[in-house]
Order: sequence, then C-alpha cells, then structure tokens
Amino acid sequence: MWKVAHRELRRILKKPSYTIILTVGVAISFLFFATIADEGQPHELPVAVVDLDGTYLSRRLCHELDATQAVNVVAVYHTHGDARSAMQRGEIFAFYEIPHGTYGEVLRFRAPSLELYTNQSYLLAGSLSYKELATMGKLAAGAVQREVLRKKGMDENLIMGLIQPIALDTHPIGNSKGSYQVYLMTTIIPGIIILMAMLQTAYVIGREQEERTVRGWMRTARGNAMKAFVGKILPYMVYYTLLLLVAEIIMYGPMHLPMSGSWGLMMVLALLSVLAAQSAACFLMGCVPDSSVAMSLTSAYGTLAFTMCGFSFPVDAMPVPMQVFSMLFPLRYYWLAMRDITLFDNGIGYVWPQLCVLAVFGLLLVGGAFVFGRQYERRVKC
Amino acid sequence: MLNRFISHLFDIWEIITAEVRRVFMDKTTLVIFFLATAVYPSLYYYIYHREMLQEMPVAVVDLSHSEASKRFVHKLDATPELAVTHRCPALLEAEQLLDFHQVNAIFLLPANYADCLNHNQTARITCFSDISSFLYYKNALLGGSNVMLDEMHHIELQHQTASSLDIHSAEVQEQPIGIDDIKLYNPSGGYASYFIPALLLLVIHQTLFFGICVLCGDANENRRALKYIPTRLRSRSIYRVTIGRMLCFLLIYIPITLFDLWIVPRIFGLPQLGSATHIVLFLLPFFIATICFSMTVGNLFARERMSILLCCLFFSVILFFMSGLVWPQSNMPRFWLASSYLFPSTPGILGYVRISSMGATLAQVRHEYLALWMQAGIYFITSTLSLQFMSKFKQ
Repeated sequence: MWKVAHRELRRILKKPSYTIILTVGVAISFLFFATIADEGQPHELPVAVVDLDGTYLSRRLCHELDATQAVNVVAVYHTHGDARSAMQRGEIFAFYEIPHGTYGEVLRFRAPSLELYTNQSYLLAGSLSYKELATMGKLAAGAVQREVLRKKGMDENLIMGLIQPIALDTHPIGNSKGSYQVYLMTTIIPGIIILMAMLQTAYVIGREQEERTVRGWMRTARGNAMKAFVGKILPYMVYYTLLLLVAEIIMYGPMHLPMSGSWGLMMVLALLSVLAAQSAACFLMGCVPDSSVAMSLTSAYGTLAFTMCGFSFPVDAMPVPMQVFSMLFPLRYYWLAMRDITLFDNGIGYVWPQLCVLAVFGLLLVGGAFVFGRQYERRVKC
Repeated sequence: MLNRFISHLFDIWEIITAEVRRVFMDKTTLVIFFLATAVYPSLYYYIYHREMLQEMPVAVVDLSHSEASKRFVHKLDATPELAVTHRCPALLEAEQLLDFHQVNAIFLLPANYADCLNHNQTARITCFSDISSFLYYKNALLGGSNVMLDEMHHIELQHQTASSLDIHSAEVQEQPIGIDDIKLYNPSGGYASYFIPALLLLVIHQTLFFGICVLCGDANENRRALKYIPTRLRSRSIYRVTIGRMLCFLLIYIPITLFDLWIVPRIFGLPQLGSATHIVLFLLPFFIATICFSMTVGNLFARERMSILLCCLFFSVILFFMSGLVWPQSNMPRFWLASSYLFPSTPGILGYVRISSMGATLAQVRHEYLALWMQAGIYFITSTLSLQFMSKFKQ
C-alpha cells in the first residue's frame, strides 16, 4: 500500500500541474465568495417611485426610502409603464406607485392604498427590497397615524402601544446578523474542495486505464486491488483534508465566521467527508467500465451535491424520493454536521450519526476495489 | 467568384460532417451533450417542484396562557409557512427540540403578553430561528410577521370599536394608508420559477463547454488534431474549420435547445412571457459565443481528454453566482463584475431570464445582447487563431 502511495506521489511530482491548478481554483473560489458577499446582506438595492400624486406625502416617502441602508431610490417616474420597463431592463428591483390624490384622501380619512411592485425573479433582491419597502410604507402610515393621534391629545407612550401593540424580535441562531457570507462560504467552499478531491481521485484512476498503466499499478500493489485503491487515494486524501482544514481555519479564524463548537470534531468531519467523497469516486470508477463516462458521471454526481445537501433549498421541502436520494451525497452529511458544530454548538452526542454514515461511505471503496479487482483478473486471464 | 463561394461552402460542409461523426463516435461527448441536458432540467424541476418550504415545524413557548396568546399560536399554526408541532412549557425544552432539529424555530410569548396588550403597551414576542438554510429563517420571519400584522389589525380594531367608533372609521384610523403588494413574475416567490430558467441556460453553457473541451482534449492528446483538418485548410483558410465546427455544434444543439427551453418549461409550467422570436434572436449570439469560447479554451488548454472537466467543473458554481441572479450585480465588487463578462453565461442567463420570465423585449436587454455579440466576435477570432497556432505547433 505504501509502495502504491509512493508511486502515486512520484506521478504527482512528475505532473504537478493538475494539483496546482485545482489549488489555485480553491483559492479563486475562496476569494470570490469572501469578497462577493462581504456586505452580509446586499445594501443600496436600486428601487424607484412612481409619483402620480406629487405632494408632500410622496416626497416624504421618497426621502425616507432613500435614507435607509438597504435600498436606494435611483429614479422617480411619472408613469407606470416607465417603471415596469426599467424593471424589465434590470435597473430596479422594486417600485412604489403612489396614486393620484393619495394625500388628499388621507386628509379626508378615506384610507387610500399605495401599490408596491417587487420583482420576484430575483429571489434575494426581490424579497429584501419587498421587506424594506413594506416596512417603510408601514412606518410612513404610522407617522400619519401618529400625527392624527397626537392632534387628539393622546399620551406619547400610549401612541406607541396603539401603533405597534406587538413587536416580533427575531434571533437567527449562530448567525445573528443573517449574513449571506456565512451561509454561502461555510457550505460552498468545503463543497468545492470535496468535489475536487472526488474528481481528482476519479481522474487519476481513469488515467491509469487510459495510459494503459493499470498492470504496473496493480503489480506495485502485488495484485491486491484494495491496497492499490487505498494507496492511490491516500496522497489526495491527506492533501485535500489539509486544504479543507486551512480553508476552515481562515474562515473561522481571521474572517470571524461563527464557530461555536469543537475544532477536534471539525477535523474528524473534514477527514471523513474527503474520504467518503473519494470512496464514492472509487466506486463509480470501479463499476463503470469506460473511464471517461465514469468521470462524467462522477462530475454530475459531484455538482448535484450542492443542491442535494439542502443548504439552499431544504431537503424537507423536496419530494420523498429526493429526500432518500439526498442520503447518497457525502456533502449532505458534512453540511448537517457542520451546522450542528458551528452554529448550534452541538457536540459529538449530536453529530455521531453523520460521522458514522460518512465512515460507512468508506465501504464504497471496498466495493469499487472488489469490482475493479475482478475485472482486472478477468482481463489478465484473457 | 461564385465558384469560390461554392467551394467555401463545400469546405464547410465537409468539416460539419466530419465533426458530427466525431461527436457521435465519442461516448463521453454523447453523455454530456444528450444525457446531461435531458436529465438535469427534469431532475431539478422534480427537486424544486414544491416551489417552497411549507408547514415548517416550530415550537411555541406560551408563558402567558391568555386568550390573546392562544389566538396568536392558532394563527401561527394556520399559516402555510409554519406548523406548530410542539407546545413547550419552558424555553429549555424547546431549545432541546431545536438542537435536535425537530423544529426549525421557537416562538416565545412572554408572561406579560396579555397585560401589555391590555395596558396599550408593546408586547414583545421573541423568535429563535435556524438559519443554516435561509429558507428556514425566511419562513419563520414571514409566518411570524404575517400573524403579527393580522393580530395588530385585530387588536386595534378592538381598541377603536371599544371607543365607540363605527367599524369603517375605526379601520381608517387604524390604517390610514394601505399597501397593496404585487409580486411580479413569480407571484408565489417559488424556487423552481426562480432557479430553473437560469439553470437551463447554465446547463446548455456548461455541457457545450465540457463536451467541446473533451473533443479538443482527445484530439490534442492523441495527436489527431491535424487529422480533422484537411491540409488545404491549414493556413489562411482555417477560419472555415471554425465556422464548420461552430455550425456542427449549433445543429446538434437545435433539438436540445428545443427540448430544454421550449418543451421543459411547458411541461412543468414555468413562467414563459417572452416572445419566441426574441428568444431565438437572443440565443443566436449566445451559442456562437459559447461555442467559440469553448473551442478557444479547448484548443489552448485541453491537453488530455478529461483535463478541462477536472479543472473547471468547480467553476459552474461560480458562474451561477456571477450571473447576478443570486447576489445582485449592483452589489458585486467591480473586479468580479468585469470578469463575469468574460463568460457568455453571464449576459446569457441575465438576458434569457429577463426575456422568458419577465417578458422583456430584445431592446430591453440591449446591453446583454451587445455583450454577447461582442463576445461572439472576439471568441470567433481567438478560436480561429488558437486553432491555427495549434495546427502549426503540431506540424
């Protein structure tokens, strides 16, 4: 086994380009996700106002919207069509339409309505600008109401209780600011590293077949397919586990992403996830005879993991067969255990099932080696 | 003149037939071109077909035990977003449920809830929510605030009617300005309607890219690169090879595009507001740009059959984020925004989503359309130059 690992190291050193390129790839992805969402939540989203009223009230609403951090009024239109067209051009995510005579109706106690249009094709920008504009609209309404109550001579404390009898304080656990960066980076970066470990494992096994060096490889392992596979994936396992740990240390260290649990568990998790992904790749490479097709299937399986781990769209909302299907992805278990450790400060008592399943994925390695070994023997006999 | 033109057409035709043969002889390319483009859209639609998370389990800790608090809990349970599955006597118990992920949020109603309401003071409800997936948090927030607004309305009407106002003027005073919210293009805020149109285009982009790179890598690796280029076309006329290959992939992708962008959205009922003519006109430069971009990368960098798949697969995730559909372009750092325009997927996804889901016209996606034509022009030149460079290098 060590001899195979040694042989593999020599092969890597002879042709280090792929390992270097993949490492640079991890660095680029890291930089991308670290810088793209560093605001936490998008600020100053472009929105507009269609002012058909042109009074004190509409100007005040514009000013108040502009004063918030989340949105930025980039234009004031005078027709609905203009605003709608700007939305289709992608210039704004939402707009308020203030109908003609709104202020007059407020003064006459006729309860007019404002129209709030949001673009839900952009899920994040659409819902954020909706939330912000709806709140500002309510506040503006509150301000008018407060003026009415004050003129009636009501006590200032009671006014607040009347305007807002109930308040809802939300506390997102572990990520108190609701930062998008925390949510994206902690899953996508490990996901990319695990994907690379899986792909490179598949690739190097495929190369042995394409370069017709399988015989030399098996001879080094003395004909034992299990030893051949373990020796082969060992250098990559060590390398990608280290890479994953370095990424995690940077994220949870200098970048201060929330990490409340144990580092020991995170290390075990990193090692087992890389191993599980590699084992899955070995299984596919062992079972599918054409190495290029096997590699394409591994790629499809690897990219699907980002969806099936359930970080963007929860697995509980998927149809039942897909919930079962999600169990076949190591990244799913990484994500489940990672959120327990980093966000919920849960210890081994909570995450042992995930760690065990990841270890069971290791059996795929045995299966892949078995099938591969038998095929090899058959070929040698021929 | 005419004869020359006809001989050019024959050259191109020769390349097209040779290339089509190559594609259909290669199992991997067939898997990437035909299987991936058929399976991915259907699978993703199946995954997301419920569109959103419904009846998310929550725990309620009601310390007030009053009529008002019970009404609040009932309303929470009645929202489509939330289902009250556990009623806990103390916060500690609810926290344990949250730790074991049996619930995704806790609503805590304080002991003085009813008192505050009776004394016209603000009653504070606390919600602890799982944010490991943003949809959990969104559901808790949305369900919670909708019930809160409804309860506020109820309480204020009670106040006003108690002070002997008739219902209408009570409503006017309680809500001097109403807000009608109109959610455009994806009224339910569903995930499939948001994600699938972009995914369809990304799948087309990525399968073309990887398929072409596999073919280029195969030719480069087995020193067969020259075999596919007739000797008379190896110097100045090499652009005919580029045109021929481009037309070949374009032909192969006509049925695939019809399936992915016409049949799939209709089967699954995805939003389709755009006109077919505008979509076809928009997709033309997208295909030219994508094919030429892939040929450039393939000619220059694909040393082995699968090397580009190995090195660039992770980029699919980044390309999706670069499109600006998740994180808005207005908030992207300039460097990434500029680099995102190196890839045809960025203007492609943005423009396609606007035309097909938002009913924009070609004039409204002018910016993206121009970007695609520019990319098409530039990458056509680079792919021709790279092919010439490779053929000289190999000779």
